[in-house]
Amino acid sequence: MGLKNQTGAAAGGKGEDHGWSKGARHGQMLFFSYFKDLVGREVTVELKNDLAIRGTLHSVDQYLNIKLENTRVVDQEKYPHMLSVRNCFIRGSVVRYVQLPPDGVDIELLHDATRREARGG
Amino acid sequence: MAGGLKLFTERSDDGAAGTPVLDTASGEELMHVQSNVSIVLGNRPPESPGTLYLSTKQVVWLSDTDRTKGYSVDFLSVSLHAVSRDPEAFDSPCLYTQIDTGDEDDDSESCDSESSETLDLSKITEMRLVPTDPAQLDTIFNIFCECAELNPEPVEEEEEQHNWIFSADQLGAAIDGDDPEWDDSQIPFTIGYSNGDHDLASSVLELQINDQRFEDAEEMESDSSDDHRQ
Repeated sequence: MGLKNQTGAAAGGKGEDHGWSKGARHGQMLFFSYFKDLVGREVTVELKNDLAIRGTLHSVDQYLNIKLENTRVVDQEKYPHMLSVRNCFIRGSVVRYVQLPPDGVDIELLHDATRREARGG
Repeated sequence: MAGGLKLFTERSDDGAAGTPVLDTASGEELMHVQSNVSIVLGNRPPESPGTLYLSTKQVVWLSDTDRTKGYSVDFLSVSLHAVSRDPEAFDSPCLYTQIDTGDEDDDSESCDSESSETLDLSKITEMRLVPTDPAQLDTIFNIFCECAELNPEPVEEEEEQHNWIFSADQLGAAIDGDDPEWDDSQIPFTIGYSNGDHDLASSVLELQINDQRFEDAEEMESDSSDDHRQ
């Protein structure tokens, strides 16, 4: 089971408004535990300033701050200076999307987790 | 929210160049001092070696030679930081940071490329810190990570007063670099604080853990808990 051949994208970070809504905070915890399982996998983190960075997920914390290793910038022509950073810390609040490896998407697990979130909310 | 880079001029009088005056009254503490660091703002030329001060709240750089020259940026505004060692990207190994100026919404043309005649600090989106000794970069990187975690997005005003430092032990362990802060044993703190009243929130949280029936207790603070709807 997976998301066909496409890369799954999950929204991370908070919206444009200030602070998390209550629902968003629940969602944040869901993403946190979910992303933790992806440590060691290759992901692409898209920031709100349109910068997209691909790298190995080193760690994620409860604020969805993300550490990447062996990073590279997807649009290298636009961001040449970011070419070569080895590891990178990205503040959770500036993340727009995290693109996941297709086989990193466990539908069963997500169903279960979202059901639990819905009950709790 | 405090956004972007600012001038920093409040120095104490001790020593030749002084040290930054921190807001210790509200719990700000100095985490790290690194001497012999140049700073590069946007595409501007490097500024004379100075000293880098990392506190629990902000990054401060003070010129060693000019007491009126210094910059600061809150960790809240540091979107991203990374160690850059590629000479093609930048001459010297440096800590590269992106700064959230707070007005990214208007998608204005990037200001650090051309119109740098007048320096508008609040519009600077990139900052490089270049230590004379590149071996210090990993240490600086790790302290940046630690401080970023000490400064999550403020959720409600009053919650900002919690300092997010859970114990001195954790602080020490984090400096040692083995990432205990990623441990999920700290998750409940986030949820607990959401309620404003910490004691109440944490007891509610325990109930949630032990008994699924209380899962939505958080939403109905004044409700009698005798009213189980199971």
